[in-house]
Amino acid sequence: MYHCVPDFEMDDDYSLPSSSGAARPRKSSLPQDEIVELLWQNGQVVMQSQNQRSMRVSPPSKYSDAVIPAEQSAAREIRSSQQEQESAEHQHQNLFMQEDEMTSWLHYPLVDDDPALDHNFCADLLYPPLNQSNNIGNNNTNPTIRTSSVTELRPAVTGGVGASRPPIPPARMTELADSKMQNFMHFSGHKARFIGGVDQTEPSSSKSMVVVRESTVVDSSDTPVAGPESWARSAAEASDFGDRGCATLSCGDGAGTSSAGAAAKEMMSCEVTVTSSPGCSSASGEPSLKPPAEDRKRKGRNAEDADCHCEDAEFESGDTKKRVRGSTSTKRSRAAEVHNLSERRRRDRINEKMRALQELIPRCNKSDKASMLDEAIEYLKSLQLQVQMMSMGCGMVPMMFPGVQQYMPAMGMGIGLGMGMEMGINRPMIPFPNLLAGSALPTSAAAAHLGPRFPMPAFHMPPVPAPDPSGIQATNQSEQMLHSIGTQHTSQPRFPNFVDPYQQYIATHQMQLPIPQNQVLAHQPSSSKPSTSRGPENLENHQSGTR
Amino acid sequence: MSSRRSSQSGTSRITDDQIIELVSKLRQLVPEIRNRRSDKVPASKVLQETCNYIRSLHREVDDLSERLSQLLATIDADSAEASIIRSLIAQ
Repeated sequence: MYHCVPDFEMDDDYSLPSSSGAARPRKSSLPQDEIVELLWQNGQVVMQSQNQRSMRVSPPSKYSDAVIPAEQSAAREIRSSQQEQESAEHQHQNLFMQEDEMTSWLHYPLVDDDPALDHNFCADLLYPPLNQSNNIGNNNTNPTIRTSSVTELRPAVTGGVGASRPPIPPARMTELADSKMQNFMHFSGHKARFIGGVDQTEPSSSKSMVVVRESTVVDSSDTPVAGPESWARSAAEASDFGDRGCATLSCGDGAGTSSAGAAAKEMMSCEVTVTSSPGCSSASGEPSLKPPAEDRKRKGRNAEDADCHCEDAEFESGDTKKRVRGSTSTKRSRAAEVHNLSERRRRDRINEKMRALQELIPRCNKSDKASMLDEAIEYLKSLQLQVQMMSMGCGMVPMMFPGVQQYMPAMGMGIGLGMGMEMGINRPMIPFPNLLAGSALPTSAAAAHLGPRFPMPAFHMPPVPAPDPSGIQATNQSEQMLHSIGTQHTSQPRFPNFVDPYQQYIATHQMQLPIPQNQVLAHQPSSSKPSTSRGPENLENHQSGTR
Repeated sequence: MSSRRSSQSGTSRITDDQIIELVSKLRQLVPEIRNRRSDKVPASKVLQETCNYIRSLHREVDDLSERLSQLLATIDADSAEASIIRSLIAQ
């Protein structure tokens, strides 16, 4: 039973109030919660009731632009009662993929998978009230299927209920096509009206909202209202927006059939701004954060359901305000969207870096950021120590001659100094000579300090307690040298000086260099220890020297 | 990281503070960032620099290991130094 509005007067029963031509301000009354299929044919939307009643949707001329695309796109049948569910489900499907990044849909509010879908939702909102159902099947492909039903519906069409609707929807549709945001709230308001009761003839927006709220929202109105509230607030918090958005909205999950489900997506994007919050019960805003947070665990489906409900409630409550602040809310919503988008990008970058870091860290099986960062820090420290040890070992090995023992204490102290003041000390040259005067205890201390990290038996081994007379003298000399060198180095840039002597030393691999050079060599590793920043560079220099 | 999504609102706040602290710690460790203005270094930058630093340290360790092994070959295997070197390489 398909009936085309103006052209095909196939149904005789049907007597439109104003039947002729294309421009027909369609006044379709709402049958009582009837399932009506909205079909598009020949550029017009034709409503077809499954109860064999058809209504012409709206003046094709006005609607055609906005309606047709919407109708075409909305190729899914949505019964009035089932409509919300289906739309919600569909929406869920669309949003479900983005469940882990809830902000994603925010950033792409109306340009999601199916842009036409948005239109469809809008259309759904519009037409159900008019047609009691929004069924846009194969618009173009069901030309003459249900003419009879349409015809029957026609007579039932009265201008009573839908008196105000046809003019409004057309306007809304155009607006919808344009902004897709603001007017949608109007739609929702209307829709609420429509859905709430077929017979509602002149429901005030507020009243209808209330009615709809009660009728459609299973949960108490508080949660849905609060949901958007908290959700709007969380939206302001870019960092947790996605999570909270889902969570808070999920609180209103109870409302199974969300009349606003269809428009939830767009609504949500609109409602990203906090402007909608005034409409919601601000009192419950904060507390609602907690339960929503708990509900957040639920997957996107619930979130979307809640979203729809919350948004709907919010829209309804703030509908009037929305109308007044149409432009402002749009700006804010867009600003918030941009903010969310940038925030999301930032978070994506950080997550990517975290994953890369996790791969670098061996045996890192932590899943949360904090523990992974902890492990990264520990691993980094251990790596630095290891590099220092090895570099020192490289430096020490050539010196592991009896004559080199004298330098062990120095190096040991350097190590201890480095370990103790490893972090944040760039030029600990000054304290270094102080340790030189000490005994080998610092070496043991350093070794003990390093114990948990590395096996450092080596540094216990150096026969520190077995100094030769020459060693003692050398030590004194080394002290003096180190003092001088220390002062020199503090004033000099990193280590251009002792790189060369060290390179020479390494190249020869022998203790044939004069003692000053050895002392410098001994000084180098130890000096490099205190400043971790210089360690790698020192090592690199050494390596380059050997190569 | 799932902490962001799975944690409650209250928990997420705590975690954020921890993360900030940890990032600052990393900042201290990584030499490149340490010398910069730490207050303006974004977390992503810190993480990036950390990854780079770790990779460079890995390379150094490998190089040092190689050198140590070479040194090990040049000295008496029974000497104390050899044991030191072996311990270093085995890390």
